[in-house]
Amino acid sequence: MTTLSGTFSKEKTEEKVFAPKPYSNPYIVGVGLGLVLLASFLIMGRGLGASGAVSTVVAVAVEKTAPEHAAKNNFYKEYLGDGTTNPLKDWLVFEVIGVAIGGFLSGSLAHRIKGKVEKGPNVSTRTRLIYAFVGGSLMGFGAKLARGCTSGQALTGGAFLNLGSWAFMMAVFGGGYLFAYFVRRQWL
Amino acid sequence: MKNLLNGLSTPKKLAAIALLLGVLALIIGNSNNRNKISVNANEIALSTINDQDKISVNTLADWLIKGNADFTLVDLRTEKEFNEYNIPTSVNIKMEELLSSNLRRNQKYLFYGSDDIASAQAWFILKSDGYKGVYILKGGMNSWKNQILYPERAAIITSDDSLKFEKIKEVSLHFGGTPGIQISGQTTNTAPTQINVPQVPKLSTPLGTTTKKKKEGC
Amino acid sequence: MMPLYKFNFFGMDASLVIAVIIGIGFGFALERGGFGNARILAAQFYFYNMRVLKVMFTAIVTAMLGLFYFTWIGWLDLSLVYTTDTFLVPQIVGGLILGIGFVIGGYCPGTSVVSAATGRYDGMSFFVGFFFGVFVFGEIFPLIENFYNSTPMGRVLLPEFFGISHGMVVFLVVVMALGAFAAAEWGEKVRFKITGRVKE
Repeated sequence: MTTLSGTFSKEKTEEKVFAPKPYSNPYIVGVGLGLVLLASFLIMGRGLGASGAVSTVVAVAVEKTAPEHAAKNNFYKEYLGDGTTNPLKDWLVFEVIGVAIGGFLSGSLAHRIKGKVEKGPNVSTRTRLIYAFVGGSLMGFGAKLARGCTSGQALTGGAFLNLGSWAFMMAVFGGGYLFAYFVRRQWL
Repeated sequence: MKNLLNGLSTPKKLAAIALLLGVLALIIGNSNNRNKISVNANEIALSTINDQDKISVNTLADWLIKGNADFTLVDLRTEKEFNEYNIPTSVNIKMEELLSSNLRRNQKYLFYGSDDIASAQAWFILKSDGYKGVYILKGGMNSWKNQILYPERAAIITSDDSLKFEKIKEVSLHFGGTPGIQISGQTTNTAPTQINVPQVPKLSTPLGTTTKKKKEGC
Repeated sequence: MMPLYKFNFFGMDASLVIAVIIGIGFGFALERGGFGNARILAAQFYFYNMRVLKVMFTAIVTAMLGLFYFTWIGWLDLSLVYTTDTFLVPQIVGGLILGIGFVIGGYCPGTSVVSAATGRYDGMSFFVGFFFGVFVFGEIFPLIENFYNSTPMGRVLLPEFFGISHGMVVFLVVVMALGAFAAAEWGEKVRFKITGRVKE
């Protein structure tokens, strides 16, 4: 994983400002990501994921607050197991924890950790945060309907040449491009 | 040519490699062709000599009574024969369905037919296809009937043998058989009756699934 | 013989440790690629930064080639690798909803975790929203359960669906990806010339 040299930091020697480094070459990052995915296939016999971890946590939370309700719901039941092991001892939950650590590590090394809000110039921070929440909710719903998100279905299923995953992937790009016009104020 | 290669940026080099591998894949066609298998003759010969994949009916009876369920018992005979009588907890997979059924390479299977032949053939085919956990029930159904269901002892035996026979009788009765005493000139050829054996536990691992309890999702 | 876990090379507790390690690799790669940043992710849909396409398809091609070749040399038993069953219609509908959510929210669940881990508040907001969305789904699940389970096709992969060999599909995907990359590079240059907008 290479990064382009941070020429900026060399110039500001007096201020000792660590400017964030530019992002790495996408193709090389892609190969790295592909190798991580391949390693997961070869070692664990499964690919990556993210939405499943959230489902597990939601199911456990619902089960703690309303056990009978959770027991009757076929969706939550899938994520609770049969009661012999703690449902939070789930591969995806641990993997997502790793994702957070990995993201933090990479961000620290490249000086990209910063408390801020990513948004376009024509929209307020508050609007952006609301949009993020709404977008997240839609994604949560869509991901469960499709049995996975971009990590699990598009990446993992895509490499596996799974029919449903490829159909899903095209629907995601389709939906995104079609709707992009309506939210362009947020980004452009 | 060398200058051309050096002049390409890394992404272009990667693209060239990918294209090469893609074309090679096209030529290869199918990554796992089940019609052609490679037999490791040495391995097969050795394991045949060493008797390592054969299980006796007595051992099987022992396992069933104790509830040892880390394998799947497979009956290779026809449906009719299977419905007439089958060893408890076995599943019926006919020889012609063997390769298209959901047998997994990481699980254990114990095969039996009427005698040794069908199970030996299944063992050979699967062993060559990469299955490590395949076993043969020595003697097949015939042995099961003769030794477990209808064990016979000679009319006159020593007291030691008599004690041993008591154990054999217990096992036989457990599986719904009828132990007997050899009467010269007569043979017991009664049709076996399928008796419900409540103490023998149901196999906990149905065919084709792994023992994971939670669903594997993403 | 691979997959190692399915052949009992190690147990469940070890697999959880491996989960964290693989996750670290995943998160690291995502952040390196700039996927912790919603503006870069959303830029994909306005054609001025095609990073998402480049990283995603490069990753897919890499892993796909790996799966093909490891199976071909007999090291990997593909039948033991888990992949989801296909439920065509719900997956397409879910994908459309996800795509819309993607361009509104600017992240997907994995990248939102990376974003939140690097301090972005919008990433955190998205992640919380994601929980909410899953919760809503769970609650109305009994109503949509039939739709959720409609058009089941079992475990179906592209080669058997189209009746062509695995290698042929691999080749076609590689060609398609390389074509897409070429188009993306050209498109970015054109866009830059027109708008003068830096790629980021």
